[in-house]
Amino acid sequence: MSSGGSDLDKAIAQLRACRPIPENQVREVCYKARELLIEEGNVVTVDAPVTICGDIHGQFHDLMELFRVGGDVPDTNYLFMGDFVDRGFYSLESFLLLLCLKVRYPDRITLIRGNHESRQITTVYGFYDECLRKYGSANVWRHCCEVFDYLALGALVIGASTTLTPTDGPPAPTNTTQLAPLDSEIEIETLNAANEIMYRYARDSSQASNSQQPSTQSPSASSPTIPTPSNIGPAGTSATSSSSGSPGTPGGAILCVHGGLSPLIDTIDKIRLLDRKQEVPHEGAMCDLLWSDPDEIDGWGLSPRGAGFLFGADIVKCFNYKNDLSLIARAHQLVMEGFKEMFESSIVTVWSAPNYCYRCGNVAAILELEEDGSNAGFVRRSNGERGAGAGGWILGSNVGPNTSNRHSSPGAGNGNGNGNANRLGALTDSVPQRRRDGPGRRYRVFEAAPQDSRGMPAKKPVADYFL
Amino acid sequence: MSTHHHHEIPNLRTLLGSRRGGGTRGRGRGRGPPGSSHEGNEAARDNAVRNTDQDAAGSRVSCVKLGYLLDPYAQFFAIQPSTRRLPLLNRGTYVRTSAIDLLVDRFMTIAPDAPKQIVSLGAGTDTRFFRLRDKYPEATIIYHEIDFPANTTAKLNSIQRHAQLYSKLRTTPPSSPLALESMASSYHSPTYNIHALDLRTLAIFEDGQLPSLPNLDPSTPTLILSEMCLVYLQASVVSKILSAFLDRYVPAPTPISLVLYEPILPNDAFGRTMISNLSTRDIHLPTLATYPKLADERLRLKSQGFSNGFKAADTDFIWREWVSEDEKERVAGLEMLDELEELELLLRHYCIAWGWRDGGEGGLFTTAWKDTRQQEEG
Ligand SMILES: [Mn+2]
Repeated sequence: MSSGGSDLDKAIAQLRACRPIPENQVREVCYKARELLIEEGNVVTVDAPVTICGDIHGQFHDLMELFRVGGDVPDTNYLFMGDFVDRGFYSLESFLLLLCLKVRYPDRITLIRGNHESRQITTVYGFYDECLRKYGSANVWRHCCEVFDYLALGALVIGASTTLTPTDGPPAPTNTTQLAPLDSEIEIETLNAANEIMYRYARDSSQASNSQQPSTQSPSASSPTIPTPSNIGPAGTSATSSSSGSPGTPGGAILCVHGGLSPLIDTIDKIRLLDRKQEVPHEGAMCDLLWSDPDEIDGWGLSPRGAGFLFGADIVKCFNYKNDLSLIARAHQLVMEGFKEMFESSIVTVWSAPNYCYRCGNVAAILELEEDGSNAGFVRRSNGERGAGAGGWILGSNVGPNTSNRHSSPGAGNGNGNGNANRLGALTDSVPQRRRDGPGRRYRVFEAAPQDSRGMPAKKPVADYFL
Repeated sequence: MSTHHHHEIPNLRTLLGSRRGGGTRGRGRGRGPPGSSHEGNEAARDNAVRNTDQDAAGSRVSCVKLGYLLDPYAQFFAIQPSTRRLPLLNRGTYVRTSAIDLLVDRFMTIAPDAPKQIVSLGAGTDTRFFRLRDKYPEATIIYHEIDFPANTTAKLNSIQRHAQLYSKLRTTPPSSPLALESMASSYHSPTYNIHALDLRTLAIFEDGQLPSLPNLDPSTPTLILSEMCLVYLQASVVSKILSAFLDRYVPAPTPISLVLYEPILPNDAFGRTMISNLSTRDIHLPTLATYPKLADERLRLKSQGFSNGFKAADTDFIWREWVSEDEKERVAGLEMLDELEELELLLRHYCIAWGWRDGGEGGLFTTAWKDTRQQEEG
């Protein structure tokens, strides 16, 4: 492995077949991953196009299905929002495969930390036991936990287009609504695993309202159907009706984090200042980012999970405005439809573990963000933190680690004046808040991998019930 | 009694011999044409079933060890060393047990001096009798458990091995174990009765004699418990079993009630997955299809003859509405629970349904459960 390439490729091939790699190889991969991750800031900057994924939870076969639906690495850029391990039976293979891909293609895949990437949680929820079972000792678990400590806490996706290039595919047989015309500004597309279009909404379309509730059916007849969304817009969306965007206009950035916001964090820079290289604490900003949930409340609330907080629409909208974000993408909560937009599309939950725990009957989703055309000439760089002077692409207050003169240089932002907390306070009072146009969002919805998955070790659906 | 035997009455002699699915708390009870498989299969099934029975006992021990439930007796029935269960399952076991405890407590405390009778169907390794003896030492309880001989024999064995258990069976604690044969499958006393019996034999009384249930008193107010038991039988068989109690064993005007704990909502994504997962384990839930919703459970109780009250609530509602804020806080503090959405899904798919016939005795159950809120919707 020390020679890089071919050993690593062999390990990847072995893991793709859902076979664990030897302990010494795990140690080496973990060491290399740490060397990479230590260079990343707490908030990794990621360029669109990118495909954003939620919880995986050791459902290896479904991770393979995700790659089939979303495209393989390195052809597709991926951002995984944590919770790779626990609950499923193949946490080890799932996490190590993602980690090997990270080491092999560091610019193509971004991994951020979920609340399950923790020593304490993995001893309760299965990953520890799985390592012990598969290796006979806790060494591999220990190596993995050391990597967990170095995972970034969030990611900032920049350069995402506000409109989608319409997918060239047939409408899904289940589609019951008029698809937006191809020449309109497409804000949302929802596709099934067969690349059929379940919905397509234009940004200024009246279809993109909460009142319209298309009834959804299963993309394939043999599997669990997608339940009709209840308190959400079309297929989990709460699409906006703003029509101010024009094709190619870059929207605000998209913050990706496993759980959500923290009452201790009002700017992304404050996330950057945390000391993340540790076990997830029981409280505090780092804990909140990994544990919190959006909820239909005003302000902040106590979380029934016992860690993190609940936060309402006002909190999200204020945070997004202040940080020049157009969207927060997060995972952490099971949603039966695979994704769920809330608070006028200011935040979305993406869930990527279909039939969670082999029991829940839900579908999964991934979120594709396209590259903004005007950013085409922008040079892709590695996942390292963008330095303050790195180029013309400076968003809001997200100018990098050099924050010492933040409050004395209101011009540090991108011209919207968002770089200065004091000035922002005045702005929010006096300027009517106009949201940044959200990015065009393509959701690919998929179901659990079939039982007899391509010669890999069998799934083990021994879900517990009360009997 | 599988689908192709829909309305047939099983050949009981064969059934009692094979005891297919007779192990755990009603699991698999009443299904399948018995005796149709090879001996080896039968033995393997029996074995698997016994293991899952121990699994249930282990779940209770997990809850007790972590402080969810107070039950000093659970450990005596768990043979294997218990492994810690996921917080979600502990919480579910807690809600189920404490919900039934609440209904039983209100029954026990109404007219506390009057004798009370409880019949636990498919009792398995349940410890409720022992807990009630501690909680209501002065009360007159006539307690009955009905289960397959394989279960009752194992249970009696455990009871005989532990003084903490057998001492509860008599008012004056004896200095020695019960004088039972080692393979005894039934036990009878004025207080505690274990009946080794296939429940389905109660369904054929139209054609013959009802089995005798010693010490079952026809005039004592009676609470029947079915925790994941009747759901494994065909609805027509269940109805006949309940009629046996309502009309024959405990006829009007004696107050009688039924408390059910069983799954609901088989037709949504979670429910369909549950049915499919369980069927791969050869577990089928016939009445789940017959009574898919809370409303169906209520109606069924009413038409069965529990005419003075017929109520139902899912266990998610029960967690929210029956458990006090203090208790919720205590329980939530026991373990960090990351499976909230999954827990809610799971809890929404199980219900408690309770119905009663008060007869002419001044509304005993009506009074006992008047403050027990049911779910309005569903
Ligand atoms: Mn999570």
